[in-house]
Amino acid sequence: MSVIKRIFGLLWTAMGVGIIPFIVMRAMQEIGEKPTEENWIFWSIVIVVLMPIIAFSLIAFGVFALKGEYNSVA
Amino acid sequence: MAQNVTNVAQTEEVTSTRRVIAASSVGTLIEWYDFYIFGSLAKIISEQFFPKDNPTAALLATLATFAAGFVVRPFGALFFGRLGDLIGRKYTFLVTLVIMGGSTFAIGLVPGFKTIGFAAPAIVFVLRLLQGLALGGEYGGAATYVAEHSPHDKRGFWTSWIQTTATFGLFISLGVILIVRQTLGLEVFNDWGWRIPFILSVFLVAISVYIRMKMSESPLFAKLKKEGKTSANPLAESFQKKDNLKMVLLALLGATAGQGVVWYTGQFYALSFLQNACNVEFVQSNIIISIALIIGTPFFILFGSLSDKIGRKYIMMAGMIIAVVAYRPIYTMMYQEANLKTKQEVVEKTVVKTKAEVKGADSLLTSVTTKEFADGTKYKETVKKKFPVDPEKKAAMPKDKLKPETKKEVTLSQNSFNKMVGFVLIQVIFVTMVYGPIAAFLVELFPTRIRYTSMSLPYHIGNGVFGGLVPLISTRLVEFTRPAPGAPPADPLFGLWYPIIIAGVSFVIGMLYISNKTNNVDEE
Repeated sequence: MSVIKRIFGLLWTAMGVGIIPFIVMRAMQEIGEKPTEENWIFWSIVIVVLMPIIAFSLIAFGVFALKGEYNSVA
Repeated sequence: MAQNVTNVAQTEEVTSTRRVIAASSVGTLIEWYDFYIFGSLAKIISEQFFPKDNPTAALLATLATFAAGFVVRPFGALFFGRLGDLIGRKYTFLVTLVIMGGSTFAIGLVPGFKTIGFAAPAIVFVLRLLQGLALGGEYGGAATYVAEHSPHDKRGFWTSWIQTTATFGLFISLGVILIVRQTLGLEVFNDWGWRIPFILSVFLVAISVYIRMKMSESPLFAKLKKEGKTSANPLAESFQKKDNLKMVLLALLGATAGQGVVWYTGQFYALSFLQNACNVEFVQSNIIISIALIIGTPFFILFGSLSDKIGRKYIMMAGMIIAVVAYRPIYTMMYQEANLKTKQEVVEKTVVKTKAEVKGADSLLTSVTTKEFADGTKYKETVKKKFPVDPEKKAAMPKDKLKPETKKEVTLSQNSFNKMVGFVLIQVIFVTMVYGPIAAFLVELFPTRIRYTSMSLPYHIGNGVFGGLVPLISTRLVEFTRPAPGAPPADPLFGLWYPIIIAGVSFVIGMLYISNKTNNVDEE
């Protein structure tokens, strides 16, 4: 179980890192195609609020899991 | 004699615990009620305070809607959480109650944009931020306070009463709005009647403050304070110490994020889906949600209590995975139940009425079509077209301003209505599974000295950010499937992918990393 937890730690870290370019590129594409006020507000909320929380928490959680910090929890 | 003394002691303990739960729950219930009436009356508030033709006011409206949920709630969690770990639970959640009640009452008294201009949206914006701040501080305090009074083997049961308050608060807010609206009539309600639910709050808060004033401090915190063991800096201890930070992250990703999206999907997205995708009439859609909420509420207690016996983890995880698997089938059935294409129209009962009138410099054409279907479903479509009487002005107007405004309303038959209640109820049961045991789970994850701070943040990020974004992101995802502006979406269920993915990830993390063991909150 400890090994699985560590392997998944790598996955969480990769997801946290990968989500940043994915969201930013998607936002640029959407706003580039339709620069409406609605689009700006939506993507601003996603980039300023949601993305940092998901990215930071997944990366930090993944690193802890990789280091085996959660091995004694469950 | 000895038996009598034991019985008296037990009776006193039960009475005291009931008082603790009642005092905490009533206050939290009122806070949720206050928070929800703003959301439920968003359209009227927008018309009164945030006119669309004023860009600054419109921006403030957006900020008021989102900032209170996203930014201010977690900030309130940190601010009041810290206060609660420094000076005590009782006084902190007394303060949050007064702030919430005061701001709600004040919103009901603020003159509209037409009377005081830009000051109106600015004042309402500040009051809404105060509401978010207070809500951020309230829940953690109430959950901690009750948990620290509860016996170890009944913590899930006792704290589940706090968990009922969010759903019950939504039910009461919908109920009060519907009653006031029906009593005063739509015109009076839109004019000034909408203020009543806000003003009513001050009386509820006064009662709750009176009850809470009579309560004593949490015994665990009082003991810690007496021994001088309270934290000097709860924020640093909560988020800078690795051992605690890792549990905050686990609570967020493995529990509250998934719980938040399941909660918001079951209670808010369901209502939005009924009204916007299924076009179910306003009052009927609210009644469907209200009935499902009231039938579903006792399940919070059931699952909270069950978590004392079999552990918190598996109940919460079961709720998440069942929701992930069941959402698309449930919403497909909801969509089909209101889909007029699947129903047989009684053509001879179709009525079309048109009316043309001049209002000032504008002409207003109104066309109302009513249809009836064999199963008893009724449909009403109102098309309003407004344009200048002067043909030159009409020709000069941009095309999008001349587009008719269409309102579709489906009134479901009794049979379809019952089925819809059932579909929403199933989702509310998912909510009770993930939400019922979570207060006990969170308080058991952190030590008493930093419990208020540590549990409040993941709760409010999970619910305020991950959950609070469900309506916005899901609606937006559906828009992506629209082949052209104004055309019906290719996949009206596409929005469900947001809660499905978040709850799915949360389920995997929770299953892998969360322990099913219930910890004792007084073990320091």
